[in-house]
Amino acid sequence: MAPSSMEMADTRDLEIAARLRRLDASAGPASPGFDYDTMLGRHAARQVRARRSHALARGLAGALAIALVSLSVWRFGPLDASPVAANATPESAPRVLPQPRIVRADTYLPVAALEDHIASIDDALNDARLRAGPADVARLERTRAELIDSYARVRYAEMLSANL
Amino acid sequence: MQRLAEIEIPSELLAAARAGDRGARGALFERLAPATLAIIRRLVAHRQLAEDLLQDTLIAMFEHLDDFRGEAPFGVWVRSIAVSRCLMAFRSPWQRARVALESFSDPAALLPVEPEGRASDLIDLDRAFARLSPVTRAVVWLYDVEGWSHEEIARSFERTVSFSKSQLARGHARLRDDLSAPVAAVACATVKE
Repeated sequence: MAPSSMEMADTRDLEIAARLRRLDASAGPASPGFDYDTMLGRHAARQVRARRSHALARGLAGALAIALVSLSVWRFGPLDASPVAANATPESAPRVLPQPRIVRADTYLPVAALEDHIASIDDALNDARLRAGPADVARLERTRAELIDSYARVRYAEMLSANL
Repeated sequence: MQRLAEIEIPSELLAAARAGDRGARGALFERLAPATLAIIRRLVAHRQLAEDLLQDTLIAMFEHLDDFRGEAPFGVWVRSIAVSRCLMAFRSPWQRARVALESFSDPAALLPVEPEGRASDLIDLDRAFARLSPVTRAVVWLYDVEGWSHEEIARSFERTVSFSKSQLARGHARLRDDLSAPVAAVACATVKE
């Protein structure tokens, strides 16, 4: 009776295993490129390198932590939680633009300039409600809402800095 | 060369090495290093990595001499440390990248190097075996030559028994294909990988 395919596979597997054992037996002596004392020296040198690497990693991690803490001074609260935004006039509510969570305060206009700008927009709005069309009014309202939002963030940053 | 698993160490030598005797430790190194390097080379098929792993294995052995309880030959215990170090190297992305880079820049870093006078069929087998993936190579060697069971292999790799069986079947099939393929076809397949 002819052997089944499974039996043939088993036979071939056994043959490969036998050849691998022959390969193992035929292997010449493997001599390491170092002796016991050299190994201890290499190990000690590697430990020194590892300690240096750890020290460097610790230093980098510390510097990173300090940088993160410093950045957090400039981190503003989430947009919907900003205190002044909650008190903004109803016309500023319809549009909330996505804003970066971490910003630099010195990129903002000074508070006084913002207040002046908002006041001038208010004047323009009053004028537009009397004389211009609804499109101009809507554009000015959007601009005012954005300025109010920026103003709220600057004031919130001031408050955070004062508390730290 | 005596196989690592068959190496027995006299209890006096072991006791002296445990006590920190430098001469005894050196003698232990001389007895174990060649056979340990042989099995590590088989598993990792990379010259420099094999020497690094040999150092790791023997340092770990000296550091944990007190943990050896004598339930099996000393060589079996050292072999388990060596295999465990090799598997850790297989899992390490850094070691994998290192082997890939060094093999690319220095093809001689790759094993095998056939001893003179070896039969040609064994040379072919040696080369085909070195072309297996590291994990498959380790499973095939541990099962076929070192006599490990699928359960032992699965435990070492932290995988299932079916993983070990499928790796073994895949390895055997690959070896059969390589050994039956013409030389040029095998070379092309290697380049394509």
